[in-house]
Amino acid sequence: MYPRSFHYHRAGSLEEAVSMLGQLGEGAKFLAGGQSLIPLLKLRFANPEHLVDLNFIPGTSFIKEDSGALHFGAMTRHAEIEHSALARKIPVLHDCAAGIADVQVRNRGTIGGSLAEADPSGDWTNALITLDTIVHCLGPSGARTIQLRDFIKDAYTTALAHDELVTEVEVKIPPQGSGGAYLAFKRSAPVYPSASAAVQLTLAGDVCQDAAIALGCVGLTAIRATEAETALRGNSLSDKTIATAAEAARAAADPQTDMRGSAEYKRQLVVALVKRAIQIAVRRARGEQVEGAHLYA
Amino acid sequence: MFAEAQSIVAEDEKKHGSGPWVGAALPRKEEDRLLRGRGKFADDIKLREMLYLRFVRSPYAHARIVSVDTSAAEALPGVVCAITGKEIVAQTQPFIQIGPDQAQKIRDFPMAVGKVLYQGEPVAAVVAESSSLADDAAELVQVEYEPLEPVVEVEQALTDRSILHEEAGTNRVWNGVWEYGDVERAFKEAAYVVDIDRLHFHRFSSTPLENNVVIAEWNPKDDRIYYWCNNSFPAFAIQFLAAHLGIHIDKIRVQTFDIGGSFGIKITSYPQMAVCALASKKAGGRPIKWVETRSEHMVSSAHGNERTFRNTRVALDKNGVITAIDSRHIDDCGAYPRYEPLGCVIWSQVFCGVYRFKNARIDFWQAVTNKCPVGPNRGYSRMQHLWFLERVVDICAHEIGIAPDTMRLRNYIRPEEFPYTTPNGCVYDSGNYPKMLEVAKYLIGWDDWKKKQAEARKEGRMLGIGIGTTLDSGTNNFGQSQIINPYAPFSGNSQGANCKLDIYGEVVVAVGSCPQGQGHETTAAQVVADVLNIHPDLITVRTGFDTERNVHTGMSGTYASQFAVSGLSAVHGAAQKLKTEMKRLAAFILGTKEDDLEFGVGQQGPEIKAKSSGKSINYWGLANIVNVNSAVLPPELYDVTLNCRYVWRAPFKVPDTKTKYGSLTLTYASQLHIAIVEVDRETFVPKILDYVAVDDCGTVINPPIVEGQVYGATAHGIGAALMETCVYDAVGNMLTSTFSDYTPITSMNIPKIKYGHTTTPSPHSYSGAKGMGEGGAAPVHTISAALQDALFSQGIFIDDSFNNADSIFRSLKHREGGQLAQLVKLEKRS
Repeated sequence: MYPRSFHYHRAGSLEEAVSMLGQLGEGAKFLAGGQSLIPLLKLRFANPEHLVDLNFIPGTSFIKEDSGALHFGAMTRHAEIEHSALARKIPVLHDCAAGIADVQVRNRGTIGGSLAEADPSGDWTNALITLDTIVHCLGPSGARTIQLRDFIKDAYTTALAHDELVTEVEVKIPPQGSGGAYLAFKRSAPVYPSASAAVQLTLAGDVCQDAAIALGCVGLTAIRATEAETALRGNSLSDKTIATAAEAARAAADPQTDMRGSAEYKRQLVVALVKRAIQIAVRRARGEQVEGAHLYA
Repeated sequence: MFAEAQSIVAEDEKKHGSGPWVGAALPRKEEDRLLRGRGKFADDIKLREMLYLRFVRSPYAHARIVSVDTSAAEALPGVVCAITGKEIVAQTQPFIQIGPDQAQKIRDFPMAVGKVLYQGEPVAAVVAESSSLADDAAELVQVEYEPLEPVVEVEQALTDRSILHEEAGTNRVWNGVWEYGDVERAFKEAAYVVDIDRLHFHRFSSTPLENNVVIAEWNPKDDRIYYWCNNSFPAFAIQFLAAHLGIHIDKIRVQTFDIGGSFGIKITSYPQMAVCALASKKAGGRPIKWVETRSEHMVSSAHGNERTFRNTRVALDKNGVITAIDSRHIDDCGAYPRYEPLGCVIWSQVFCGVYRFKNARIDFWQAVTNKCPVGPNRGYSRMQHLWFLERVVDICAHEIGIAPDTMRLRNYIRPEEFPYTTPNGCVYDSGNYPKMLEVAKYLIGWDDWKKKQAEARKEGRMLGIGIGTTLDSGTNNFGQSQIINPYAPFSGNSQGANCKLDIYGEVVVAVGSCPQGQGHETTAAQVVADVLNIHPDLITVRTGFDTERNVHTGMSGTYASQFAVSGLSAVHGAAQKLKTEMKRLAAFILGTKEDDLEFGVGQQGPEIKAKSSGKSINYWGLANIVNVNSAVLPPELYDVTLNCRYVWRAPFKVPDTKTKYGSLTLTYASQLHIAIVEVDRETFVPKILDYVAVDDCGTVINPPIVEGQVYGATAHGIGAALMETCVYDAVGNMLTSTFSDYTPITSMNIPKIKYGHTTTPSPHSYSGAKGMGEGGAAPVHTISAALQDALFSQGIFIDDSFNNADSIFRSLKHREGGQLAQLVKLEKRS
């Protein structure tokens, strides 16, 4: 085994997990799907003294519809969402879940863990930030709900206290006439995307009533491309309008050059991804079934 | 059109080779074991009292080691010892250097001594009771460094401003000129002269599923070193180890087992093998296991050679026939030469590629840099040169305005010219490149794609069609090492095999190879089955290397596309020898003449029957007489042992080292690939729309094995062309040390590959087979060619072997910068 030695604790309930972490202190971490944490442990980049395993807590993995929203248990695996007919009610969610890394990662990784990790390259935050998403949390002083946009503070930083965890993710089902899409470009299946784009549009006839556009992997957190949204809102979605929005998205991106691509290429990718995501979103808003897929090198 | 190609493809589907078993599509004997997870790999071996070793590695590319303090690590409970470079120097000789002159002075030890020369170089090792403890202890080793100026670029290295090996006094490892024909005259008489300023073949590697593994025990009772490992050229490794450790070579026993891929990369694991032996000695003879992590593999196992081609000038006649090439090639071998500078000559096995030009001057250089040492990597040293030639052909074709297929047909060596002697004296055994092109065109639907391409171009789409024609030269003449260093004591090539009837009459074959997925267990059984006229399942083949079997020669191992020739010729020779002995014995026992005997299978298993009398003796009976019932034998049969070793030798001569002339390789398998690639206008992702791989490796021993090798090599090549590159920053940090950054190709990135093959039997091997498996990195050339075709009208030359969406986007965006236009110059003469 490659990590430094640590104490392993298995929590029986969410409440117990929270109290364990409180007692164990700063050297303790929650273990959800482990798809970020375990690679960090392996490389000894993260060296917690204690791990509190959430994987054996009953009732934390579910997908249900209730009062106009989909509810996901925090420990729901990406693969469960990928294969859920219910989750397809919000096509962006299926797009996102089906394209995360590879099958092995999707079988273990969880939606709650992904949000709590707040990796700037994570898929879920970017997809969900275009929707009305509420994160349900539980800490020593009880439960609370936080809007996703307030939940994500910075790269790898959330509103969660050290001994607080995500219990559920609630996503409001968009109204009739709304359509969305999530697209990411990956150099190979298992790796984080070079850039991603999430779009959610509400149409009235040909006119865009509302638009939400978010960009992933091109900043410290998912970026809402507000100027791109403005370019669409109140306009009919001609190729020219879409191109204007995509160019506005290019300006909103703030990428770094790394092995996933040069900054200038990532900006170009943002343009292409936003454009295509808008096109898919429009078709879906009109009631068409469109299979979205991540793009591979 | 394509009628001949159509019939070749149709004929191919029913072909079964020369004998009943050789040529048959026999499923691999090793399949069942390997696919059910019952393979035995080095890491599966657990020995009593075994300890675990972990290396401490340098974070710097070039630095002086001020101090190494292992005391805290050694104080950790469960840690047995630590070992440093200083201790190793005191006990050993530097590793043998293959290079001449200054390069001979390079002092290479398995751990850094005084200086570190690449990021990831071992500076110390710790040995503990468990692998976790060894990991913990490695973190406690304190090393103080004083950074030195790193040398990352090979042309910068040649300036000798910062020198890696001070004892050598230069970063240059080797330099030599290959010149044939009348280059000056060819340029004088040329109708076109094309100048290409710089081409670059990138550094990439192989990523075998199984990393390096070494278990070593330096046993104090018999003072022998026992290795259980996955080195892929053990006969070479023991020669280096014996000299380094100062031990009689017979005292080193090396065993290998199933190996999860090598692609050449595992040839150079002997430094780690040395450390493990020394650590075992220090630990009182307890066995030491080292299992390389993936991160270690990426930074410090071995990478493929990187090569820069400068100031290339090409002379052509008015029809686009190349008449001369003049160029300077600079190879980057990383921090230590190790197997190098052999790569400085190995490329010349394919000096003229598949082309007919007679006049050429190649000024070849190699230098060290502060990067991971290189090692032979599938397509070793030839693929860099073949890529260069294919770039020359495509760039000239586009510049002059000749279609790339026409250009190739005008320049290919013609079928009637085989065996063809190249300007440097290599003999291409057989081949038919125009026919391969026909078959490839037929399989891909060439005419359809040409139409689609014309339509796409009207819409402004960037769609390219690329051809790559390559060679996989197999069975080296080690005498080429004397072109590098006249004092090198190597020449020719040999392989050993043993074929016996065991005491109870089982047919057992042992070979000196150590397969890593090439199916030697199956193909060796096919060869013996034909000799003895029995089913391959009745033959046991011992694969995996073991010095104690006494089968190997000094060139034994599995590397350099040769088993079908060297390995199977040895097996065939041993089987023939056994058959001769069996015949003599059976003739005596059955009281008949040898020509009355018939080999086959009777009611009591495999047997020899007298046709005249119908009497027979089975294999048990024969083995019984020789081994445990020998009073029956007459003295004239005392030399019959039924245990026959045969050493096959390639019929080579030492090349002329002054003129660099001679036969360097025995067989030349050829590959012809065609790729259709479209570059997306928004994402710039180069997508392979269609792909065909046509292979010609002479007579095929086992069609599914050959086909599998072609798919594997094609996937590796596509990965290299579009995804896999070893990137170092300006100070020598490796930026691609994880799979997330290196992105090895996965099934998601591999297009459907159409496979075809043509057969031109080799006159140089007994069966007509040619070595294969490396595949000449054909996809690298083919994809470069397709991208060139897609982007030429946009003013882009493909000058690098690695291209991805990002690099294509940046080339297109910055093409107005003026630099790219300077890359290639065309001079037309009336």
